[in-house]
Amino acid sequence: MRQIERLAEMPEAGPAIEAVGIEKRFGHIRALDGASLAVRSGEVLALIGDNGAGKSTLTKIICGALAPDGGELRFWGRPTAVASIRHAQDLGVETVYQDLALAPDLSVAENMFLGREPLMRRLGGLVPALDRRAMRARAAEALAGVGISLGSVDRTVRELSGGQRQAIAVARAVMWARSAILMDEPTAALGTRQTAIVYDTIRSAADRGLAVVVISHDIPKMLSLADRIAILRQGRTVAQERAADLTLAQVVTLMLGGNGREEAA
Amino acid sequence: MNGLTLDPPAAGPGPLGRALRSTPVAMALVVAVLILGFGALSPNWAFLRTSNLSTITLNVSVTMLLAVGITMILAAGELDLSIGANVVLSSVVGAKVLVALSGTPDEVRAAQYPDLALGVAAGIGAAVATGAAFGAVNGLLVTRLRVNSFIVTLGTMGIGTGTALVLTNGSNVPYVPRLLQTEFGVVRLFGVIPYPMIVVLAISGVMLYVLRHTRFGLYTLAIGSSREAAERAGIRTLPHVFRLFVLMGALAGVAAFLDLTRFATTNVGGHQTTALAAIAAVVIGGTSLFGGRATIAGSMVASLIPVILATGLVILGVQAFWQLIAVGMILIAAVAIDQRRRERLK
Repeated sequence: MRQIERLAEMPEAGPAIEAVGIEKRFGHIRALDGASLAVRSGEVLALIGDNGAGKSTLTKIICGALAPDGGELRFWGRPTAVASIRHAQDLGVETVYQDLALAPDLSVAENMFLGREPLMRRLGGLVPALDRRAMRARAAEALAGVGISLGSVDRTVRELSGGQRQAIAVARAVMWARSAILMDEPTAALGTRQTAIVYDTIRSAADRGLAVVVISHDIPKMLSLADRIAILRQGRTVAQERAADLTLAQVVTLMLGGNGREEAA
Repeated sequence: MNGLTLDPPAAGPGPLGRALRSTPVAMALVVAVLILGFGALSPNWAFLRTSNLSTITLNVSVTMLLAVGITMILAAGELDLSIGANVVLSSVVGAKVLVALSGTPDEVRAAQYPDLALGVAAGIGAAVATGAAFGAVNGLLVTRLRVNSFIVTLGTMGIGTGTALVLTNGSNVPYVPRLLQTEFGVVRLFGVIPYPMIVVLAISGVMLYVLRHTRFGLYTLAIGSSREAAERAGIRTLPHVFRLFVLMGALAGVAAFLDLTRFATTNVGGHQTTALAAIAAVVIGGTSLFGGRATIAGSMVASLIPVILATGLVILGVQAFWQLIAVGMILIAAVAIDQRRRERLK
């Protein structure tokens, strides 16, 4: 952790996360075939592509949920084989999954700390116990920090609406992230107003110095929110440009390939 | 900006309302009503005599211990049908080791046990180790072969029972010292609490703590609630599930030795419905069959119901077999009520 903080402070360290020529096959389907992206600290990178272009697969490789078949990942310029989700978390990388990855029977606080619970000692240090008070307090604080009030963090996720669940997944990632956040369609289940809040959260996370990768189908919004756009088509990165240099029409053309739809299938 | 508008916190029930809605408390009320009801109906309140209540706790001890273990297994969304077979096999191995180390064959045949302390210690170790090994086999098959635990433990149930019968040629292990029974199995602390029950309560207390207050417990529930979410949180789910089966097996080994002390004999033809009785108690107590929600207190209280019913019916002069019918109906009713309640929650 200490090492990460030091690295994150280095202004000229290049991209925080870099994926170069990533390949991934599922059986004989080539999900990724030379996918690349680079995102710097303090920057929002929108990852755009048609359904099946490989966006989710690429984020899952970066966050350690999947192992790549080829290519290289670099964190602050250093080639790194991300061995597991835990490893990525140790590198300061947090992920908001498309399916949110929440345990419905656990409480909001338990979900936000799952895998990283604070412990305390009882009976003169002999018996370990979950420090639930600390979990509750810090979870409530993190939710408030991204503008969410849930009533009680003791409610189980099962009792919450889709939008509330999504908010918890986002708040969890923001709470733990030390260097980067990957978000796979973080506004999919949200209404207009809630979406606006998540976009605010994304921007403020980047302003705090985090590198943010967002997968989204809302291309017009990405053009205004993101600093740069990476476009995937059929498992390959076909463009990585500053958002300011792209128009909606250009993005759509790049995303679908050539001058229209024939390649999209 | 008032945030992701999340509906105002529901005006929740007060502490009393919450307590009444919790299954363990509801079950405790059912148990209390049953006890008082049978007490009032029995001649001279015979049901409420200390000796009767004490016998009930003795009769329930092994089932309660197994129910506590099954609670952990169900919490993780798994199932173990093999615990009855495990108890039989572990008690056979424990008894054989105990008898073999307590004296020479001639001595034990004459009911002489010069090395009883050694034999008992080794017998306990052998029973618990056998149980844990049985559980480890279950755990390996579930996590390595990725076969559903219902099927794996249905298979090992037969394998375990068969192995016990092969080891003993189908008859009980002879020359188990009666001292086990007279000095421990049926002895009561202050004339009230049977010694086996003290062991069961102590272990249950530890398990209650583990489930509620430790990472191990939280991860168990997380795996049962959403294995995907647990894995994404960095929890290594397969080793965890393996450990749960070993734990369950070790508890079955303890149950096996308690059984041995209580009857001073093995019971190679028994425990055929033990697993189902324990699972029924756990589900009646409020643990979800599908994982994620579990209550050890509920399991402990609910495991009392069949024994209370059986004893009460006998005292009332009704055939005890009605107990089976009543428990069956309670099981179905409990799950139906629980489902209703959760649908309303959603």
